Amino acid sequence: MIAAGTSTRPDRALFYTPASVEVDYDAKLGDPGSFPYTRGTRAPRERAAGESHDIIVRELSGEGPPERSNAQFHYLLEHGATGLDVIGDTPTQCFMDPDHPYARHAVGNQGVSICRAADFVALYDGIPLDRVSCDHSLPSGFAAAGLFLAAEAHGHGAEILRGSAILPPLFAEDTAYSSNLPIELHMRLATDSIEFCADHMPKFHPFIEDTYYISDGSVDIVDEMALGFVELREVVRRLVARGVDVDRFAPRIALLVNCRMDFFEEIAKIRASRRIYARMMRDEFGAKDPRSLAINVAAHTSGATMTSRQIANNISRGAIQALALTLAGVRAMEISAFDEAIRTPSREAHLIGLRTQHVVRLETGAADVADPLGGSWYVEALTDDLERRILERVRFIEDLGDVVELAEGGFFRAIFAEAMVDRAKEVTEGRRPVVGVNVNEVPLEDDTLLRDMAEERIAPCYERIEEIKAWRAGRDHGAVVAALDGLEQTCRSGANVMPGLLEALRADASMGECIGVLRECHGRPYDPLRCVERPR
Amino acid sequence: MTPPVRALVTVLGLDQHEAGSLAVARLLRDAGVEVVYAGRFQLPETIATIAVQEDVDVVGVSAHSWEFLHYAEELAERLGAAEPAIPVLVGGSVVTGADRDEILKVGIDEAVLPTATEDEILAAFRRLADAHRAQR
Repeated sequence: MIAAGTSTRPDRALFYTPASVEVDYDAKLGDPGSFPYTRGTRAPRERAAGESHDIIVRELSGEGPPERSNAQFHYLLEHGATGLDVIGDTPTQCFMDPDHPYARHAVGNQGVSICRAADFVALYDGIPLDRVSCDHSLPSGFAAAGLFLAAEAHGHGAEILRGSAILPPLFAEDTAYSSNLPIELHMRLATDSIEFCADHMPKFHPFIEDTYYISDGSVDIVDEMALGFVELREVVRRLVARGVDVDRFAPRIALLVNCRMDFFEEIAKIRASRRIYARMMRDEFGAKDPRSLAINVAAHTSGATMTSRQIANNISRGAIQALALTLAGVRAMEISAFDEAIRTPSREAHLIGLRTQHVVRLETGAADVADPLGGSWYVEALTDDLERRILERVRFIEDLGDVVELAEGGFFRAIFAEAMVDRAKEVTEGRRPVVGVNVNEVPLEDDTLLRDMAEERIAPCYERIEEIKAWRAGRDHGAVVAALDGLEQTCRSGANVMPGLLEALRADASMGECIGVLRECHGRPYDPLRCVERPR
Repeated sequence: MTPPVRALVTVLGLDQHEAGSLAVARLLRDAGVEVVYAGRFQLPETIATIAVQEDVDVVGVSAHSWEFLHYAEELAERLGAAEPAIPVLVGGSVVTGADRDEILKVGIDEAVLPTATEDEILAAFRRLADAHRAQR
């Protein structure tokens, strides 16, 4: 029974009519593949019998040392994944090496442990990097550098590399993994890696504006996209200000959005975002290349919508979200594994995530027609409404002043913190129905379906800690020190840090050491937790 | 007049998820508890130090990573060494029934599953805090 209280359902009419929305087809919609790309960034094409659609099928993965994650990748590719999406364990996401004292019980049990060039080489061993796109939820700059070095070691030129790296420079400290970096350094790593990739990895998307990170702590759908656009716009402004032609990097910007359970609103959000981006890049940033105006949207379904009660219900949620994303025309998706509320995805949950995507794509026909909901009075009205509200919110925030100063001052953190608490209260007070949690509950002792599997634990990789300690002790110490000094000089000179980062990784410096040096260049201690010292 | 209960709310190790800890902090505050919020990047040693320095009645650790399983024993030992011992409650989205049994065995005073209601969470904090005050 849902408790009494005001529903969180947004205001909507009981039905929609032609009078509900003003449709100017050419100005607001256009055909799929045409400005303003509301209906999709690519013109549909005929397909041969049996030829699959272009949606990249992938599942978020990464576990243990790189070798174990590599085996996981091969398993996923053998079972129908067409792309990879790797996430680091918590130390890795915090730019922290596994032998850091704070990392001890978090190594490899919630993602892959990565801290050196050899790890990227092992991670991608035997992966056809020329065909498989590799998305990275790994620290800014290091993802592109690591993939670059892995390709080099496996005999590929960097120009063939496909995939992406998520960059949440403005919000990383507040909504993602705090690594105690000043926002300016986050921005530096973002902009430097984007510029580096424009020159060396032209097929790679070095800048995924990741609104999943922003929103899964539970800001609403308008703030998800408004804050995403605030961040994206700041990155674009900075690159333009340093003299980089907007058409040199904009074609490789992409969006990774969240997908929660409000079916039509999520579809409208994606359509509105493509339109906002196209108009913004053309009218405000002067982009001329059509590829600079058409933003590819990928999506990750919301882990926060996965429940730890009646865990099998999460499979249904994933299927509904996958259908919404297919109808919205995303270019790639990953479904949060059904056991996500409790653990890092199991092999079985990964497979169900893949198969859910396969069922939606191959059996429902939902992907056969581009933007099948286009022209629906309801969906067009929602799209217009979200576009208006997102743009208003962007203007409101930018009118408050410099967004980096706002971030450093805690403005965004307050928004995220408040949203986290509000969301929790909505559920506990019953204003947001969540099946199995505050409605249609069953006694805990009866809630057993799939539970044993979901409650299996992955042990921390203590052996990985020992391996890295031994590797660190056996390196050419002088070469490491020299490379870190070189990285420092590059950073302090104001030049792009990516070449220095590559050289340091080639010289066997670790990610934690590199970020420590970059921290020092930006006025922070080498290790804010005061546990490790810079090699001298 | 009896001074209000003082509670330390925090997150262990590298656990980055603060949704639960912030929600619990607000829940306690709204119930009249004085909350000391220590946020992320805390180890058993730093939690015990803050708990003693701040003279709290109870410590609440929010868990959304599995690190709590490995820190539980040390955390219980360090807080148990205070005079009088400071009780500790662990709760969060990833805590299962089996986890509860395991951490209670190594000395954690209370474990709260994700199914707990706000009233149950508040009652657990109050019960531990009252027991602590009775020993003073």
